[in-house]
Amino acid sequence: MSKASELKAMIKGWRKDAADLSYEEALQALDLLLADLQSDAVPLAELQQRVLHGEVYLDHCESLLKTVESTVVTLDPDSLQPTDVP
Amino acid sequence: MSAERIPTFSVAELNNAIGNLLERGFAPRFVVEATVSRPQLKKGHLWLTLTDGVASISAVAWASQLRQLQYRPDDGDGVTVVGKLNFWAARASLNVQVLDIRPSLSTVLRQFEVVRQRLEEAGLIDASRRRFLPREPRTLAILTSVPSSALADMMRTAGERWPMTRLLVVPIPVQGDVAHRIRDVLGRLAEQVERFNIDALVVARGGGSREDLAVFDDEGLCRDLAEFPVPVVTGLGHEDDQTVADLVADHRAATPTAAIVALLPDRHAAQRDLLQRRQRLKELPGIWLMRERQRLMDRRAALALQSPELRLHRLRQQLEQKRSLLHALSPERWLKRGLALVSDAEGIAVTGANQTQLDTRLTVTFHDGSVDTLVQRVRPSPAPGHPPTSR
Repeated sequence: MSKASELKAMIKGWRKDAADLSYEEALQALDLLLADLQSDAVPLAELQQRVLHGEVYLDHCESLLKTVESTVVTLDPDSLQPTDVP
Repeated sequence: MSAERIPTFSVAELNNAIGNLLERGFAPRFVVEATVSRPQLKKGHLWLTLTDGVASISAVAWASQLRQLQYRPDDGDGVTVVGKLNFWAARASLNVQVLDIRPSLSTVLRQFEVVRQRLEEAGLIDASRRRFLPREPRTLAILTSVPSSALADMMRTAGERWPMTRLLVVPIPVQGDVAHRIRDVLGRLAEQVERFNIDALVVARGGGSREDLAVFDDEGLCRDLAEFPVPVVTGLGHEDDQTVADLVADHRAATPTAAIVALLPDRHAAQRDLLQRRQRLKELPGIWLMRERQRLMDRRAALALQSPELRLHRLRQQLEQKRSLLHALSPERWLKRGLALVSDAEGIAVTGANQTQLDTRLTVTFHDGSVDTLVQRVRPSPAPGHPPTSR
């Protein structure tokens, strides 16, 4: 597998993992990554990967912010089961 | 006045005439402000006396009407009654038929004070008990009346601010004697908080009079809110209205909309924040490279300092410094100033007259050469207070 296709597969995996994160979790992961990048912790070989990983988190957060409508569920007060009433 | 002009009635006719007069000449419905005295239930009907301290009138809420009323007055309660006149012709008795009855503001405020004091003593109204609100809640439970403008406002605000948060709307009655029904819902919901991933609870009711909010002064309801497993935000009535529920809540918002604003972040601000982070992410590799480059340059400079030529030069310099020091400390300097060095035949320095003897040879060294001498006479310095002697 070439390096480019390896990187593509990695990004795909990151996107899949990020999809399950809430906004707050993705933001936390991004902030940890930024802190790493600001310190000496990241070796040169991983620099570009880390930046791409950060972009995956950013994209996920932005897509969440673009959510158009809230999910509203009305519960029956006696059974707490969802009803059709908006 | 002549007898012909005075109408003459039987008792029944008189009472009927009075009844007719009242029916024609009095308002079909009216509002009366009063204090309740001696309320009594008899055969399902509520009998009471309405008084203002000066006058009184009896009143009745018929059983059929009573079932629809949301409030049962206690003795001494201030009330506002919507009623009409009832006149029984058979006994010419008059009373007020109660169509609706609500506690007056003074009654509501008295109840508020009583419950507030009790819960304060129980430690449930205490700023240190207030929990932090979640920053980006996954799910909010909203207890309010459905449909209502308060709910519509909250849903709109939630959609604008933070649509990722799921809203669980649980309809509740919000007026009248409904505390037990709200408590039932609260109890059920408290058990299901984890199942629904509820991060906070909003209890909301749109505007109205302070009297309309009386249910939120109910002691049991307020205790349930204080013990609810996740933070509670109230948005009840208007900004000026304060209920006991507001006091036990973790956050009191002035209105239902303000409750949502308090709980949900602003997505536009979050978008700006993300933009800044993206910019930082873009800049960081450059900064990283600059820092590493600088580090490399520092190391190159450190390495250069360790080259053999420089090292040799430094050693030479150190040697020169030592040479200068040695020179400065040698006797040559003293000899040049006129002093001489005296040594015996074996070259050992003679430092005093007492080390010499007659007829011994001494060498006197000057800065530019030496002379050999023979000791002809020894004159030690006299001790203080003694005459000089010689050998």
